Amino acid sequence: MTPLLEFVRVGFGYGNGSLFDDFDAKIFASDCIALVGPNGVGKTTLLRLAAGSLAPDLGEVRLKHKTLVSLRQREIAKSIAFVPQNVEIPFPFTVEQFVEQGRTPFLRLFGGLSAADRTAVERAMELTDTWSLRSRVFNQLSGGERQRVKIALGLAQQPQLLLLDEPMQQLDIGRQFEMIDLIGSLRREGITILAAMHDLTLIEGVFSSVWLLSPDGETLQGPPAQVLQPEILERAFHCPPRHRPMLVKRARSRMEKAI
Amino acid sequence: MEVAREQAGNARGGQHDRRQLWLLAMLLAALALAMLVALGMGAVRVPLRALVESATGFRPLSGDQRVILFAIRLPRIIAAVLIGSGLSVSGLLFQGLFRNPLADPYVIGSSGGALLGAAVGVFLLPAVSVAGFGTTALLAFAGAMGSILLVYWLASVDGRTPVVALLLAGFAVSTMLSYSSYFLETLDQDFGAGMHILSAWLHGTVTQPTWPQLAIVAAMVAVGLAGSAPLARRLNTLALGEEYATHLGVSVQQTRIAVIAIGSILTAAAVALGGLISFTGLIIPHILRMILGPDHVRLLPATALAGALFLLVADTAARTVIAPSELPVGVLTAFIGGPFFLYLLRKARREVTL
Repeated sequence: MTPLLEFVRVGFGYGNGSLFDDFDAKIFASDCIALVGPNGVGKTTLLRLAAGSLAPDLGEVRLKHKTLVSLRQREIAKSIAFVPQNVEIPFPFTVEQFVEQGRTPFLRLFGGLSAADRTAVERAMELTDTWSLRSRVFNQLSGGERQRVKIALGLAQQPQLLLLDEPMQQLDIGRQFEMIDLIGSLRREGITILAAMHDLTLIEGVFSSVWLLSPDGETLQGPPAQVLQPEILERAFHCPPRHRPMLVKRARSRMEKAI
Repeated sequence: MEVAREQAGNARGGQHDRRQLWLLAMLLAALALAMLVALGMGAVRVPLRALVESATGFRPLSGDQRVILFAIRLPRIIAAVLIGSGLSVSGLLFQGLFRNPLADPYVIGSSGGALLGAAVGVFLLPAVSVAGFGTTALLAFAGAMGSILLVYWLASVDGRTPVVALLLAGFAVSTMLSYSSYFLETLDQDFGAGMHILSAWLHGTVTQPTWPQLAIVAAMVAVGLAGSAPLARRLNTLALGEEYATHLGVSVQQTRIAVIAIGSILTAAAVALGGLISFTGLIIPHILRMILGPDHVRLLPATALAGALFLLVADTAARTVIAPSELPVGVLTAFIGGPFFLYLLRKARREVTL
């Protein structure tokens, strides 16, 4: 089977030292992958490499056998949607106007949205349950609503791969559950997802696999039950030993949930 | 449910379009009416009836009337229309570019740059002939472009331009450029003509243009408006920020350069005829944004028309309120736009969105 996206011996760094060396990974259609790791380990960087807005120093990222570097960003945007952490808009765009921006890579220089574009926008808002927000001003939305609307913009691109950068950030616990449910429902729709995740407790049961990035450059890839082990997490996150019971508890709560 | 939703969607889109079309039609009608009224107003009143009668071939105008209308007032009216359109649309473009609703060609120093360029043309290159005016306009363009690149470079932090940085950089650059124009004045070989023009420019006076000058400026405005059309939607995407725009396939750098170039053409066109006319580029897009929302595609044609209407009314007032003497229109726009700008600044301080 052809992978949708493939990292082939990717090396990347921002000048002072490298974040990735010989990074290999594959994403297949319908995968739902959680990208975890301590702060500053390069989760967002990896997402940008996947979106083609950063080019690897070494190796290559391939979208169905084609290296991303050879594709125009506009072409990539038709297949890969990137939902960033933060967005600041200086003008009072409505939610609908915001989501319509997802059609940008498909539009010509002149002329507006076609019927097909409209359908894509409406479908995206339906999937994210944001249709009722369509006339609201984006800047006046709550944190949870904003996240859903941002994902709607990504879905409006009708992407083969949806990249989410910390979709749970700054959400209260109730909104976190809503978000994890949304990710679950997108997965059931067959949408391929790679999401940088901060909170490890919500991963199980929704994501099909986990990529754990460690500061030493080691990467562990596997199903959640295999990767989210206390010993492994302790090492990757440099947890002080006295907090070990907490990690065990988290792992156990996961097992209980599985039952 | 699907159907109902679709209908709701269409109705909503329809309403927006209808509102926009209404506004455009009204602005167009108002502009035509204002041009007609402005033709009749001035030191010598030409009654509207005489205009209508001559247009219908009922009774021709007298020789004096014809000179006043077609050699003096009509060029002036067209100049005001072009200046208003140019300033307003360049204001809209710069607000989108800087992602900042307080940007305006005057505030950010682009007008000042155009003025310096034009002053170089007047003082260092001889005689303001037709070809000379072309050179002047070209130098104004170069000046506008140079100054905005400078301000942009000074004020932007990671693709964003904080209000304070933008205003300070704009103020500093603008002041330096305006005083450089005064310096050029001292180098002037033959006193008189150049100084007169510079003084008019600095006050923001619509000087009496010749038809060839108008043709050059009209061509610049036409190029500017045509060039703005494909940029409008990209400005919407750019408003989401550099990261979003890039990931949506918009080449950010290319778009910025295009916006700067087109905005500078429009600024230069306006400055070459009217000099430093403040705040027009700020007020007009802002008021329209309140009516039509922030979509640049929708704002562009309305801004061009409303800007033309606003400056025509302002200029007509400027040349008639203290007739037979004249007020520089820049003074009027400063009186109207200054307080408006301060109000926006105050509001922007309260809303952290900037």
